[in-house]
Amino acid sequence: MKMLIGFEVHQQLTTERKMYCDCPTNYQDVKPNSNVCPICTGMPGSKPMPPNERAVNAAIEIALLFGCEVITDKPIYIQRKHYDYPDLPSGYQRTSLPIGLNGELQGVRIREVHMEEDPGQYDPTLGTVDYNRSGVPLVEIVTEPDMHSPEEARRFLRQLVRVLEYSGKVRPEAGGAMRTDTNISLEGGGRVEVKNINSVKGAYRAIKFEIVRQKSKLERGEPVTRETRAFLESQKITVSMRVKELEEDYRYIPDPDIFPLIIDNARVEAIRASMVEPPYLREQRLVEQYGIEPAAASVIVSERELADLFEVVAEEIDPKLAAIWFRTKLKKVLNYMKLRAADVRFTPKQIVGLLRMVDKGEITPEQGELVLRELVKRPSDPRRLLQKLGLKRLRPAELRAAVAKVIRANPGAVKDYLAGKEEALHFLAGKVIKLTHGRADPRKIVELLRAKIVGEK
Amino acid sequence: MGEVTKAKLEAIRNGELSAVENIRQALERISKLNPKINAFIEPNHNAISQAEAVDKKLNRGERVGKLAGLAIGIKSNINVKGLRATCASRTLEGYVATYNAEVIKRILREDGIIIGMTNMDEFACGSSGETSAFGVTDNPAAPGHIPGGSSSGSAAAVAAGMCDLSLGSDTAGSIRNPASHCGVVGVKPTYGLVPRQGLIDLAMSLDQIGPFAPDVYGVALLLEVIAGFNPNECVMLNVKGVSYADELEAELKGMRIGTSPKFRELTDPKIMEVIDSAIEKFHDFGAEIVEVELPHLEKGLPAYYLIMSVEFFSATRKFDGRKYGKRIEDVCGDEVMRRILRGQYISRKEYRGKYYQRALQVRTIIREELMAALEKVDVIVGPTVPKLPHKLGTSLTPMEMYAYDYLTAPTNLASICGGVIKAGEVDGIPVGLQVQGKMLGEGEMFRVLRAYEAVE
Repeated sequence: MKMLIGFEVHQQLTTERKMYCDCPTNYQDVKPNSNVCPICTGMPGSKPMPPNERAVNAAIEIALLFGCEVITDKPIYIQRKHYDYPDLPSGYQRTSLPIGLNGELQGVRIREVHMEEDPGQYDPTLGTVDYNRSGVPLVEIVTEPDMHSPEEARRFLRQLVRVLEYSGKVRPEAGGAMRTDTNISLEGGGRVEVKNINSVKGAYRAIKFEIVRQKSKLERGEPVTRETRAFLESQKITVSMRVKELEEDYRYIPDPDIFPLIIDNARVEAIRASMVEPPYLREQRLVEQYGIEPAAASVIVSERELADLFEVVAEEIDPKLAAIWFRTKLKKVLNYMKLRAADVRFTPKQIVGLLRMVDKGEITPEQGELVLRELVKRPSDPRRLLQKLGLKRLRPAELRAAVAKVIRANPGAVKDYLAGKEEALHFLAGKVIKLTHGRADPRKIVELLRAKIVGEK
Repeated sequence: MGEVTKAKLEAIRNGELSAVENIRQALERISKLNPKINAFIEPNHNAISQAEAVDKKLNRGERVGKLAGLAIGIKSNINVKGLRATCASRTLEGYVATYNAEVIKRILREDGIIIGMTNMDEFACGSSGETSAFGVTDNPAAPGHIPGGSSSGSAAAVAAGMCDLSLGSDTAGSIRNPASHCGVVGVKPTYGLVPRQGLIDLAMSLDQIGPFAPDVYGVALLLEVIAGFNPNECVMLNVKGVSYADELEAELKGMRIGTSPKFRELTDPKIMEVIDSAIEKFHDFGAEIVEVELPHLEKGLPAYYLIMSVEFFSATRKFDGRKYGKRIEDVCGDEVMRRILRGQYISRKEYRGKYYQRALQVRTIIREELMAALEKVDVIVGPTVPKLPHKLGTSLTPMEMYAYDYLTAPTNLASICGGVIKAGEVDGIPVGLQVQGKMLGEGEMFRVLRAYEAVE
């Protein structure tokens, strides 16, 4: 069955000041209603300040990252979108006409990029409103309904989030900073918009639920009505909010208190010249420039700081080795510690030092991983860490002695191995590893064990 | 004529009259006259201590501001920290301003004393001063008649000598109409000349704060204090450091003064008689009188009422009952309700092209027409209101009430400036002459107003 899926994604921009006043935007770190002024609380008679230039620049950059054409030399009106809700201090939200149009990402057309302001936060249980968030600038990205399965939608949304995070212009996806509306329609049914989605996972689940719901309706011969639904994260279902006929009329008017934005070409070009390389382009470049695997490149560009680090390291040592380490070991350690590449405190020189030791066979990859873990926790010179962890590689004589000792102590296992039981060798190897506190290369241990047992026979 | 404000300022500076004494006199006059005139909603109880501070500066020989010691009344839709900005509405009857409007900051910087908050039509919706939730205002110049509106209290207070100067706001005539009916001087500045930060909205694209005074010097002085760019708001003209008061000249030689046959079509002949004789005087002073065409002038009024209603609907959404106690629709008067409902109706998606957009097109036509006329002349003079003020308590249909704005609304639609000075009387009722100037043509406008004042 043919299906069409599209998104409207909202994310907060990382400016220090709000969109139309000078209040700070760190609303999560401060007491309720402390980052407020007459403007962002909509006090009678207050007037917006001129729009935050940094926020506008960020929106332009995001539009460019999605390959949009930025609207230049034409007035971009800031509109008032009227609706009645306790978190909205003036009874309308300010939302711009498109800043960018006609972009594309992973084959999905981006219809437009525009700006909005965040409302306050309403607590229905307490009946209170915290206006700290009110007026924080948002960017909204609207796609065409170009996705045709929940999996495709999820892939796209992940990529979109990655580009946004990459830009460094949006707040990381935390504390509900990303909000997505999804529209889903099946052939023969009305378009359904699902609101209240806060994550990629949530979007995937909501779409899956909707497809099942709409499909079964259509199969029963019932119409799928055009409506707006809300996603309930806890139950993973959607419920009806309002049908099309009752849809709110926002009575848009250009805000008479704000001159429209006019963006000139020089400004766009200046932003283009200094903006980050979007991850999908960087991924291609890493593959071509360093000759690494596409899969590794994909992992490396997943975080901008990870890719930045990689490129510094790849100048010093074999990029292919670095790529394998970044893709498997470093990413694994960071994930395990719930860290992002941006949190990494060790220097490029330190990780280069570590990889050199591995490259020269001074330590085993396993030992290297232990050092890496320590490096992430307490950055220091890798050689010092090696010593601290007691991981200096064994001298060959020490290893040979340990192997001999284990063989002597486990005649049963030796016999089993000689009888053809390969697992017995692994058992013995385990004993050696234990005896040597993991300071020897397991491959070398197995080799020595085999040679010794077979040689003694 | 025209020396009242200057004389008062000099008396205060010379020490003949202390600021405290001036304020005390104003407060006494308010307590004596206000029960009848009802020009003030609330006096400022800190006015005396503010005046003491000014006197202290004077006694120490320190420099004082341009408005030192003058008693200034403020329309109740302008935020003055610590005083109620009620908009003469039950919706905001308990709203005490938490901040000063930019114009108030500028007045205080020049040592002006805020004497109190004046009465007005509710949310500036009215042309008579009768729609206030705090009762009607009487006309001190023609008792028993409306003072005009919506800045009814600010005009009446100056006319009755309850304060030296006052601020009003003008969206389609709300300063000029009561100035005309009360026989005082009032000015609607060029849109974007005076900061609106702190002015509670009627229609944002038309509202402008402006001064009232008993004389031209007074309005010129107060305007130069409040005018000029404010970096903290968007829709402003980039004008810095204007001065009008010291440059007032009565010289009209070489000036081209426009008038239009359209005014006669729309105006009571008795009023036109007064205006005609004023225009004759301009001719006698050496100005050239030029007729200009304003063929669509009367279409400004319906366009205004549509645009204003849409903007007013938007502006009042914040009075939802959650923050300021009472939801506007639950407690407002008929005229406010009428405008909200009209705005709500015509801003509906399906009517967009039909009303609001067309009204904006008419606005463009009116603006172009006035701009073209002002290419040919320096100012356009004519009547302010087409009819004499009715007696308080007379019942008017909405259209009859709106008709007061025919001649003043186009000024706002065109974003130009307009000032009013008493031209004469009809049956003892003041009639104001309106002088409309170009965008930022306040200088020429003041010159014409001052020339008229000087001979009277």
